[in-house]
Amino acid sequence: MSWWRRAKLFIGTGLGALLSTGAGAETLTLYWNAGHAYQAYADVIERFEADHPGWEVRWERFQWPDMRTKLIADLAAKNPPDLVAEPGGWVQEFGQQGLLLPLNDFVAKDGEAMGFPEDWQARAVERNMLDDQYFGVQIHLTCGTLVYNVDMLKEAGFDAPPATWEEFREVAMATTGGGRFGFAPNPSIGYYWSWFLQNGVTYYDPETNTVNLGSPEAIEAIQFLADLIQKDKAATTPVAGSDYEGPQKLFTANRAAMIITGPWDVKPIRTGNPDLNWAVAPSLNHKEQATFAGGVSLMIPRDAEHPDQAWELLKRLVALETEIAVTKEAGMTMPRKSWVENTEIQADPIIGSFGECLPYAHDVAAELRLTGKHARIDKLLRSALEEIIYNQVPAAEVMPRFAKEANAILASN
Amino acid sequence: MAAGGSMGAAASTGTGSGARSLFRTRRLGRRAQQTLIAYSLLSPAIIYFTVYFFYPIGLEFWASLFSGQPLIGESRFAGFDNYVTALQDARVRQSVFATLTYAIGVTTASIAIGLGLALLLNQRLPGRTAIRAVIFFPYIISFVIVALIWQAILDPYTGILNGVLANFGMPTQNWLNDSSAALPVIIAITVWKDVGYAMLIYLAALQSIPSDFYEAASIDGASPAQQFRYVTWPLLTPTTLFIAVVSMIGQLQEIAPAYLITNGGPADATRLFSLHVFEAAFFELNIGYASALSFLMFLLILGITFVQFRLLNRDVSY
Repeated sequence: MSWWRRAKLFIGTGLGALLSTGAGAETLTLYWNAGHAYQAYADVIERFEADHPGWEVRWERFQWPDMRTKLIADLAAKNPPDLVAEPGGWVQEFGQQGLLLPLNDFVAKDGEAMGFPEDWQARAVERNMLDDQYFGVQIHLTCGTLVYNVDMLKEAGFDAPPATWEEFREVAMATTGGGRFGFAPNPSIGYYWSWFLQNGVTYYDPETNTVNLGSPEAIEAIQFLADLIQKDKAATTPVAGSDYEGPQKLFTANRAAMIITGPWDVKPIRTGNPDLNWAVAPSLNHKEQATFAGGVSLMIPRDAEHPDQAWELLKRLVALETEIAVTKEAGMTMPRKSWVENTEIQADPIIGSFGECLPYAHDVAAELRLTGKHARIDKLLRSALEEIIYNQVPAAEVMPRFAKEANAILASN
Repeated sequence: MAAGGSMGAAASTGTGSGARSLFRTRRLGRRAQQTLIAYSLLSPAIIYFTVYFFYPIGLEFWASLFSGQPLIGESRFAGFDNYVTALQDARVRQSVFATLTYAIGVTTASIAIGLGLALLLNQRLPGRTAIRAVIFFPYIISFVIVALIWQAILDPYTGILNGVLANFGMPTQNWLNDSSAALPVIIAITVWKDVGYAMLIYLAALQSIPSDFYEAASIDGASPAQQFRYVTWPLLTPTTLFIAVVSMIGQLQEIAPAYLITNGGPADATRLFSLHVFEAAFFELNIGYASALSFLMFLLILGITFVQFRLLNRDVSY
């Protein structure tokens, strides 16, 4: 056989194998957060594939920043995934750019059967809407609150967790010592919001189109935290970087008496130190009792190749039985009203305590996101807060400067 | 030779202008043929560079003339507004300064330490192959792994280094939380990772210097320091130019240490220019502005490389 005939045979065999592999196999691409890849979701995906012969779900898992990078590149290349989990804010941001598929037709067809939107808490629906169109469906609804080491507090003479800022400072100072810290704050700016909110500060005023973080209340809130770190030495300096698990690791290792976190840390704490005696406290009350809300939603990009199948999978992922299975496995809190009413959920003291914070939890940037300038202002805020925490510049100097700069961005076209 | 042969044939037959015309046609035909072959052979490279370099550069420049989200969403023509904004932005200037400090720091230290190690390990030392391998090893590790290793070492509360310092009764340090320390720390981490490469290139260069030169210098009474000053260093200047240019170009574009270790913090102390561009594009979704920043970076690197060639090339001995 000549080399040319051999080459033709080789190429033909290769192409044939390639075509036969591709024929009949459809792939549904799902982008997911690596920290949320629970077995309960793996089971749902497995059942979906079993019920849809010839379909394979490519379940790609990322950390949020990496997913955002990949997703934006995919959107630019007009080759997005079919279904995407997002950490809050992306639905409105991408929806405003016309990059997402409105879900109204799907909701009209299946909404009643799946309980959407009636069974979802109102704000979980509102944060995924633009005008009258649904662009996302909430899958987790969470909030951050105070989590404490019961034994460390008892050793320091406290039988109950702190309820106010003054009590919090007292407990933090009393539990600090011997390589252990009263409080370990998180470097992510989202966590700073519990202090602002408890002092009555909101991010943005849509009527005046200005941010409110230059106010005396905002300055007082951030200076309270800075003083706890710098003057009282009762809190760790958050470690600069992109790893937000530091406080949880210190807490799990019995080296921090208190952290602020949400249900996403329940599983790491329980598995990291099963003997740790810990509990969840209601959020602190200064001017008001408040904390930040979080959560994850599912969205379908406008250019998704398989939107119908993506919706079918979405319905299964947000089903009540899936929510309960995920809560049992990982302690995650959920957006369905029927989930809150579930007796098994109510019986779990940790989950129940997180659930109790949801009514006073705020979606901090809900209104600012609609301006389309939220990310730019958030970046400025991060720099400002780091200047106070790391460089020890007084909040009274930094926050008004930040507010002026942010307001200039808001005023610009 | 073939063309000459044709000319000879035309002259001998005396066919005049007809022969010249035939000659021109044949010659042009052959030239065209040669050109065609040349372009055919070059075409994979031309296509590759067009698709992956020239087209994206053109697209990036086009996107830089729009505000909003050119390429993915809504945008409007803004002319050179993005460039004007970038040049007026204090954070851009701060990140350029941090990037230049980082690039010069890494390049200078890599050259100095790499040369020192190469001179040392060019001697007949026991176990020198193993030592060379150990020093070179970090260079082939992904920066993600390097970042994880150094975060574990430098964490102020759980880090190994502070643990060692505390055991010796020394004060612990906020390595990554101190604005004045963070940039030198990531420079040191990058040098630790990259110095093996500089060492390897210098070793190769040292081994290519003929031993006769040293023998002659020795006979002339040159001390080891004088031999280095008048023999080794001049003959290493092309290598130094190569390492300096390649390292500067690489470090000016570097994003990994700032993104993975400090996320640009604390308080923007390690916000390298690439990270600033990355955040403008992927965090703020300000694609037009990020494209303008990228184009300015391209010009900056071009300018610095040109200056390096002009400055260093004067002293290069080949």
